[in-house]
Amino acid sequence: MSEHENKVGLRAPPAHLRVSGIHKRFGGVHALRGVDFEVARGEVMALVGDNGAGKSTLMKVLAGAHAADEGQFFMDEAPVSVNTPHDASDLGIQIVYQDLALCENLDVAANLSLGAEPVKPGWSFLPQLLRPLDDLEMEVKAQAAIDRLQVRTLKSVRAKVGGLSGGQRQAIAIARAVGADGSVVMLDEPTAALGVAQTRQVLDVVKRLRDTNHAVVYISHNMRDIFEVADRICVLRHGGNVATWRKDETTPDEIVVAMTRGLDDEAGNAA
Amino acid sequence: MQPEHKLSFINRLRIMRETRFGAFVPVLLALAAIWTYFGLAVPLWEYWGDPDAENIRFIFLSPRNIYNLFMQSAVIATLAVGITVVLLLGDIDLSAAATAGVCAALLGVLVLAGVPGPLACLIVMGVGIVMGTAQGVLVAYVGIPSFVVTLAGLLGFQGLMQKILPTGNLNVGDPFVRGFARVLLPDALGWVLALTCIVVFVWMSLRRQAQRKARGLELDSTAAVWGQIVFFGALMLATVATLNSYRSVPLLIVLLMAITALVGWITTSTPYGRSIFSVGGNPESARRVGMNVKRIRVSAFAIVGLMAAIGGIFGASRFGSVSYTAFAGGSLLLESIGAAVIGGTSLFGGRGSVWNAILGALVIGSLGNGLDLSGASAADKLMFSGAILLLAVAIDAVSRSGTSER
Repeated sequence: MSEHENKVGLRAPPAHLRVSGIHKRFGGVHALRGVDFEVARGEVMALVGDNGAGKSTLMKVLAGAHAADEGQFFMDEAPVSVNTPHDASDLGIQIVYQDLALCENLDVAANLSLGAEPVKPGWSFLPQLLRPLDDLEMEVKAQAAIDRLQVRTLKSVRAKVGGLSGGQRQAIAIARAVGADGSVVMLDEPTAALGVAQTRQVLDVVKRLRDTNHAVVYISHNMRDIFEVADRICVLRHGGNVATWRKDETTPDEIVVAMTRGLDDEAGNAA
Repeated sequence: MQPEHKLSFINRLRIMRETRFGAFVPVLLALAAIWTYFGLAVPLWEYWGDPDAENIRFIFLSPRNIYNLFMQSAVIATLAVGITVVLLLGDIDLSAAATAGVCAALLGVLVLAGVPGPLACLIVMGVGIVMGTAQGVLVAYVGIPSFVVTLAGLLGFQGLMQKILPTGNLNVGDPFVRGFARVLLPDALGWVLALTCIVVFVWMSLRRQAQRKARGLELDSTAAVWGQIVFFGALMLATVATLNSYRSVPLLIVLLMAITALVGWITTSTPYGRSIFSVGGNPESARRVGMNVKRIRVSAFAIVGLMAAIGGIFGASRFGSVSYTAFAGGSLLLESIGAAVIGGTSLFGGRGSVWNAILGALVIGSLGNGLDLSGASAADKLMFSGAILLLAVAIDAVSRSGTSER
C-alpha cells in the first residue's frame, strides 16, 4: 500500500461499503487483481482509470452483476456477500447504468415507481398484477423524490420521459435508483453525453445526494467534473489500485499521470 | 424558414399525441373527414349534379346505415383490441384472423354436434387462449420473432380451418350464438345504460380532481375536465339516439364496449398493464426492475388469442354462418391490424390504446361502407384502404422520429 492510501485511510470517514482483495477473471483475462475500495456515507468517491483499468468491472462486481472470484464485502464493517444484483439491491446498493434504461413512453411518475407500483387498498381478491394502480400515490412519491434531489427544471411528474433533456433523464434515473432505499449509488459516466448546462444539473443532483447522506460512487473521465464533485478520488490501473487521494490534496495533472503511468514515477513528486 | 416551420409542426403533432386525449385527435379527424365526405359531400354532389332529384338522400348518415356500420365494424374492432395489446409490446400478430376462423369453425361444428351454445363458446375461448399462448411461448421463450411465428400461425391455422370445414361453409343456427347479434336492448334500457355510464364518468372525473386537490398535486384545467365529460356524454347520447331511431342498441355493441373497457382498464390502470407498456417502451428497463418480460409476452399473446376467439364468436353470430372467406381467407386480418394502427397504436411498441382501436375499426368500416354505397369497385376499396393505412403509419413514424432525435 502506498503512503497516500495510508494517509487517506487514517483520516477517511468510516466506510459504509468496503471491499477488499477483489479478484475477477474472465477466462484468461485477469480484470481485477486484488482491488480495495471503499465509500462512506455523505461523500462522493470518484473512481477513475484508463480504459481497461477495471472501473466498470469493479462497479459491476459491487452491483452484483458479476460475482467476484475472491474478495470480501463489508457494509458498515459487517461482512456481507454480494453475488447477484438482488443481493446488492437488498443491501441498498444501486447502480445507474450509462444507458439509464428509462421507458420513454411513460411519464416521470410511472418510471420512478416502475416494477414497484403502489396499488389501491381493498382489492385483495384480485391478483397483485391486476389490482388498480394508485397513480395519485405514485405522483406524490415521484414529486417527493424529485423535490429531494431538487431537479428544478422538471415542470411536471406527468411529463413523458421521451420529451425530457439528457440531464433531466439522468436525474430521473438517479432518483429511481435512490428511491428504492438506496444508500450506495453508483453512477457510470453520468455526464458523458451531456452539454454544459445539463452537466451542471447532474452535478447538482450528485451534490444533493451527498448532502442527503448517500454514499456516491462516481465514475468519469472528465477531470473537471471529478474535481468539482468528488471528495476522494480512487485511481485504478491494470486492474489494481494505484492510490486514493483527497481531492484537496491533489491536482488533475497528478491524477492523469497516475491513471496513465501509475505511481512509481511520481512518488517523489506527490509526497 | 421552411424546415423550421416543418419541425415545429412535427413537434406540435408529437406533443399533441402524448397527451391522453390528444391521441384520439388524428383518428377522430380521419373519421370526421370520411363521414363528411360520404355523408354530406357525396349526397350534395349527386343532388346538384342531377336535376331530377327531388330531395337530398343522406344514405350514409341514416340511422339504418350507422347501425349496419357499427355491426360491420364490431368483428374488426374485437380483433383490433386484441392486436393492440400485442402491438403495445412491440410485437405483431398476423394469425389473429385465422385464429378467429378456427374458433368460429370449431364453434359451428360443436353446436352442430349438439353441444349447448354457452359451453361451446367457453370451449372455443379456451382454444383461442391456447392457440395464442402457444405462439407466445415460441416468441418469448424460443426467441423467434413474432412476425415469423404468427405468419406460420396464419398459414397453419388457415389450413386447420379448412380441415375443420371441408366444405368451406357451415350455417350456425344455435339461438344462443345468434343471440349476440340479434338481441336488441329495449330503447329505455339503452338510455338508462348510457346515462349510467355518463354519471359514472362524471363522478370519477370529479372525484379524481378532488383527490388531486386534496393531495396537493397539479390539477387538470377545469375546461379540460368538463370538455372530456361533455365530449363523452355527447358521444354516448348521440350513439344511443341514432341506434334507437333505427332499431335499438344491439347486445353485440354493448358487449364489445364492455370488453374494450375491461381490456382498456387492465392496460392502463393495473401493474400488469403498466408492465406491458414498459416492455414495449424499453424491455431492458422492464427486466432491470424485475419484471418477467417473457411471461408478460406470453400473456399478451394469450389475450390476443382470447380476443380472436371472441371475434370468431361475434362473427359467427352476426353472419349466421362460418365461412372460410369471412375469416381466415379474407381481408379481416389486414383490416384489424389496420384498425389498430390507424387508431394510433405504434408498431414500434409502447404507445397506443384499445379505445383508439375501436375508432380505427370505425374508420376502416366507414371507408368500406361508404365506398360500397357510392358504388365503388372492390379494387377501389382496396386502394383506398391502403392509402389510409399508409397515412396512419406515416403519422406514427413522423411523430415517433420527433422523440428519438433528441
